[in-house]
Amino acid sequence: MLTRETVTLPGGARSEVFRGGKGPTIVWLHGPHGLRGHDPVIADLTKHYSVIAPLSPGYTDLAEIDDIDTVHDLALHYDAVFDALGLGNITLVGHSFGAMVAAEYAAHYPRRVSKLVLLSPFGLWRDDYSVADLFSVPYANFNTMLWKDKKASAEMSDPADEPNDPSEKAIALAQAMTTVAKYIWPIPDRGLRRRLPRVTAKTLIVQGADDAFVPALYADEFANAIKGSQKAIIADAAHMAPYEKQAEVMALLDGFINK
Amino acid sequence: MKFHWFHLMPYPHLPDDFKEKYPSVWVDAPAGELYDPVKGHQVYNDYLDQLEFAERAGFDGICVNEHHQNGYGLMPSPNLMAAALTRRTSKAKLVVLGNSVALYNPPIRVAEEMAMLDVMSGGRLVSGFPVGTGMDTAFCYGANPATLRDKYREGVELIVRAWKERKPFAFNGKYTQLRYVNPWPVPVQNPHPPIWIPGGGSIETFEWCVANDFLYAYLSYWGYENGRPVMDAFWETVEKQGGDRNPYRAGFLQFIAVAENDAEAERLYAGPAEYFYNKCFHIAPQYYNPPGYTSIATMRKGISGQVVKASANLRGANVKWKDLLDAGCIVAGSPQTIADRLNDMADKLHVGHVMALCHYGNMSNETVYYNTTRFAREVIPKLRNRFNEYEDRWWPKDNLTDVRKPAPLAAE
Repeated sequence: MLTRETVTLPGGARSEVFRGGKGPTIVWLHGPHGLRGHDPVIADLTKHYSVIAPLSPGYTDLAEIDDIDTVHDLALHYDAVFDALGLGNITLVGHSFGAMVAAEYAAHYPRRVSKLVLLSPFGLWRDDYSVADLFSVPYANFNTMLWKDKKASAEMSDPADEPNDPSEKAIALAQAMTTVAKYIWPIPDRGLRRRLPRVTAKTLIVQGADDAFVPALYADEFANAIKGSQKAIIADAAHMAPYEKQAEVMALLDGFINK
Repeated sequence: MKFHWFHLMPYPHLPDDFKEKYPSVWVDAPAGELYDPVKGHQVYNDYLDQLEFAERAGFDGICVNEHHQNGYGLMPSPNLMAAALTRRTSKAKLVVLGNSVALYNPPIRVAEEMAMLDVMSGGRLVSGFPVGTGMDTAFCYGANPATLRDKYREGVELIVRAWKERKPFAFNGKYTQLRYVNPWPVPVQNPHPPIWIPGGGSIETFEWCVANDFLYAYLSYWGYENGRPVMDAFWETVEKQGGDRNPYRAGFLQFIAVAENDAEAERLYAGPAEYFYNKCFHIAPQYYNPPGYTSIATMRKGISGQVVKASANLRGANVKWKDLLDAGCIVAGSPQTIADRLNDMADKLHVGHVMALCHYGNMSNETVYYNTTRFAREVIPKLRNRFNEYEDRWWPKDNLTDVRKPAPLAAE
């Protein structure tokens, strides 16, 4: 069971943070689906870790990102959140959009991140092997691109925690995808490649072999740019690999974090 | 009432199997495969002739607009078209329902070009500032949909301020920073040409138009009956913000098909109308509504964008003339029928400016002239005096009575 709290940042901005579990602390930055009480990966993590999961600004109210114009602003935002939570050095785990933000954070604040796990990260670009346009399907159908089965698992199919209101559901999805779009439109490359060599955290990169959004080859791009990093490719999984091959990804993560 | 002849300038040579073979007329329809510039030469010149003819026929305004990477409308730069029109017209107002301000960096470029048009035409410009469709802005021009509307408004604010102040100032915006704002030329119309905002029913746009006294032009392809919820919401906003219920605050676009009778209307216009709805409007659904394009407030209000609605109604369907008449998209028939319908529209929508689409799809020159002439001679006079009791504050004043005509060439 996750608890939900709001922290206030210098300047007055607020951030919602979910917490739960016992054990070593890890910070989880969520993917495009956001956070919900019933996220199965987070539920699994809380069995062995004390999980701190901030909700991305923009997900509850788009006005929250009015002044967070760039990925640099995002890194500043999360630094303020981590300060407000009294965190020192952190183990940072991100999935998808959250992995891009985690990589940016670790490059902006290398001394604060001791371990970094990037699950299906993006933020790099190769002309000869391009990342698919996440918005080349109507954004309400974005799950078709992210899952191996072309549809979300039952637990992850509802964008809001209030599944009975179709209008709130549509609005939650619009806010989520607008937020993601703000930092990746029209091409998910804000110069991260230049910054990745700054990362000093021990880093694990995990990607699904059948990711139709970010080709698996990008795991190499990240691994080559972050010195000493390791990578793992998950067979028979797509962009949602942590959810599609949960046990396998958890085992990798445990092995890496507890080493 | 005022009547404006609106050209969309579609590409009229799309193949018969276009809808089956290509996913979208916009964004990624391959130009090199589908557009023939030799035919295009003829098409542009035909279209300019038609706009010029509309002035002679007696229309108040002639309209051009802006779209990108598509077969729906061949005016990436409406300003180029309007510039061409300044030379062979002298009375009709030039209603430029581009420019999509957020796409120009810095947006002061738009202030410059619009002022050029106003000066060249002798003060005949109506300056339209659409936010631009999702296809044009987010997909074709890579504009970030999360910030598009904010950037657009800041740009319009800068342009209007430059026109009003007419002396150098510094502009420290979020999206544009200029140490010296001082565009030359200044427009003939003082403080500036009327500003029209073409929109698709977003609630903030209503509020913004009323607050700034901009005209709101609802460009719907679904006929005036279907346009009622949007226009009702607009007038509700006007009332709430204390504006007067002046019909000239608003414009509406309507497909027109004038003929001797219904049968002749079908014979002349069914083909071009079906071409428009089946080909020019064949838009892949992901392109018209990028995330952030429809604001949360508009989503909460529940007024769905016309394009969203259109696609829901027509996706995959092979739309026929009868469907279009049944849906109320097209006003067709004898001049009296059309006048009656437009009177009904004026009653229901309370709009003073009608943008009449007398050309659509792959309509032949001959049919365009026929439709235009009969509309001007037999329909406009029946409606001309409606709303005469209101002052049209959204229309160019005749600043220059003596509009300079092109001189004969020296060799002549």
